[in-house]
Amino acid sequence: MPRNPEEIVADGIREFGEGREKVLQLLNKVNEELSWIPTAAINAIAQATGISVAEVYSVVSFYSFFSTEPRGRNIVRLCSTISCAMTGQREILEALMDEFGIEPFETTDDGRLTIETTPCIGLCDQAPAMLVNGEPHVKLTPEKACEIVRGLG
Amino acid sequence: MEKKVLLAENQPEFGAGFELALTMSPADVVFIVRDSGIKGRGGAGFPTGIKWNLAGAASSDVKYVVCNADEGEPGTFKDRILLEKYSERLLEGMAIGGYAIGSSHGIIYLRAEYPYLIPAIKEARKNMINRGFLGKNIGGKGFDFDVEIRIGAGAYICGEETSLIESLEGKSGYPRNKPPFPVNSGYLNKPTIVNNVETFCNIPHIVLNGPEWYADLGIGDCSGTKLFSISGNVEKPGVYELPLGAPLKDLLELAGAGDIQAVQVGGASGRTIPASEIHRSLSFGDLPPGGSVIVFDSTVNMLEVLENFMEFFVHESCGQCVPCREGTLQLMNAVDDLICGDICCREDLDNCFRLAEVMRITSKCGLGQTAVNCFVDIINNFVDFTDECLSEECCCERGDQ
Ligand SMILES: Cc1cc2nc3c(=O)[nH]c(=O)nc-3n(C[C@H](O)[C@H](O)[C@H](O)COP(=O)(O)O)c2cc1C
Ligand code: SF4
Ligand code: FES
Repeated sequence: MPRNPEEIVADGIREFGEGREKVLQLLNKVNEELSWIPTAAINAIAQATGISVAEVYSVVSFYSFFSTEPRGRNIVRLCSTISCAMTGQREILEALMDEFGIEPFETTDDGRLTIETTPCIGLCDQAPAMLVNGEPHVKLTPEKACEIVRGLG
Repeated sequence: MEKKVLLAENQPEFGAGFELALTMSPADVVFIVRDSGIKGRGGAGFPTGIKWNLAGAASSDVKYVVCNADEGEPGTFKDRILLEKYSERLLEGMAIGGYAIGSSHGIIYLRAEYPYLIPAIKEARKNMINRGFLGKNIGGKGFDFDVEIRIGAGAYICGEETSLIESLEGKSGYPRNKPPFPVNSGYLNKPTIVNNVETFCNIPHIVLNGPEWYADLGIGDCSGTKLFSISGNVEKPGVYELPLGAPLKDLLELAGAGDIQAVQVGGASGRTIPASEIHRSLSFGDLPPGGSVIVFDSTVNMLEVLENFMEFFVHESCGQCVPCREGTLQLMNAVDDLICGDICCREDLDNCFRLAEVMRITSKCGLGQTAVNCFVDIINNFVDFTDECLSEECCCERGDQ
């Protein structure tokens, strides 16, 4: 069972302290554990750091790694910038969409998987590349990418 | 020709440069850095010695040394290699920076796309603590210094130093107005130096070998070596270290580029040049040596490349100022129109170039100012407007506009 957002935020405050400048660290912590940022987490962070809920919300919406919609336990981030685009990123994305039945930024019904596209992830020398739960996977082919994603818990 | 310092097989021991720096006065360390002529390796090329001098002169008990490890420029991955293999060198460079400007607090701002590098950085920090190079009263000199790691959350703009500082403060990464400059008022309004990973990694070598040695490494009036990440249509993509000021063609040879239609130097915000110009030099005075080089062979449709980059800028514009927020969108739409043949006359195109110029002059930060480079370069150099597709006079029906 995932922990509740208040608990994670309280934990984060103990770890980082409670200044205003901790907001991003707290959000990252929630994001890491839950894959998304629920309203309860936003409220808890606002309260703990003494800034408004609206301000925390605006920070959440600024960064592409955060989402206010539930996402899958596993997040695939497929690079869509040029060195990957030139080496078959499109075919990989299509293969993933076909096999798992979702479009980019959608989540499977069982909550297992979200697929996202993302700008350059700094692995262009081994393009095409993707991050799966933060781990790099490189020199992908459609088959290889599907196999990796199939194997996720 | 490669010239390896940062990536050399035989390296001075981690910490040796810092030990030597501790025998000097902080001001002397700043002078060494200044005299080496090193300019920032993050792209903008600001002289590091001048930055450190200003931060050193700022009066405050609390100052910060911030390492920009946001590496978001498309095609750039040199800092990834440095962080993977040379995090001790980075920490050493940051500690020297701290000693030089009078700061005991270092922060590495690591892009969210590199979480797998955190263990290497933490390990390096542990090693440096064990060997007495980080912590309290370092070398018995009464100097304290330690480094914390902070992670971004997926925003290219946070590589811009004032946006990075906003992000460190837990806010959205909107670039600040300058002045005040970070050297006077940066993180938590304290004097702050922000430098690129590669810049810091150079510092220990400079202290150990002296400013003249460093200046002589470069070609012409350039100082030092430079890391370049090269990808695209080349046989051996990867990171290469060359003297700063080397001709682009040397790098292309090393990486095994054969069929060359275009080379983009300096990332999406850099310049895109045709094969006829590869003799030009990678230097702050010529082709931007930020670190990214992408090669496109003759099979590549450059308009599609441009579309990819404009989508990037539309996605990454922070939206704070109008020329960039709206301009990137307009240029992206223009590229789409060009691709499907909806731009049919010179006038449409001239309007785009006018817009590009306005964006270059009036955008608040480097993102909007340089987002137009790829548009201007690719349209001018790589799109063949034959008479049929682009006439002097408008020929389309635009009743609905
Ligand atoms: C849009 C934008 C993105 C930037 N991204 C980076 C980056 O990822 N890494 C970096 O070191 N500098 C980046 N910079 C440059 C920084 O603003 C700053 O000049 C640099 O970190 C200073 O360090 P240096 O002098 O050692 O290069 C960026 C600038 C702009 C305008
Ligand atoms: S130029 Fe673009 S990225 Fe920079 S402040 Fe303006 S909108 Fe933001
Ligand atoms: S372009 Fe895909 S990792 Fe850089």
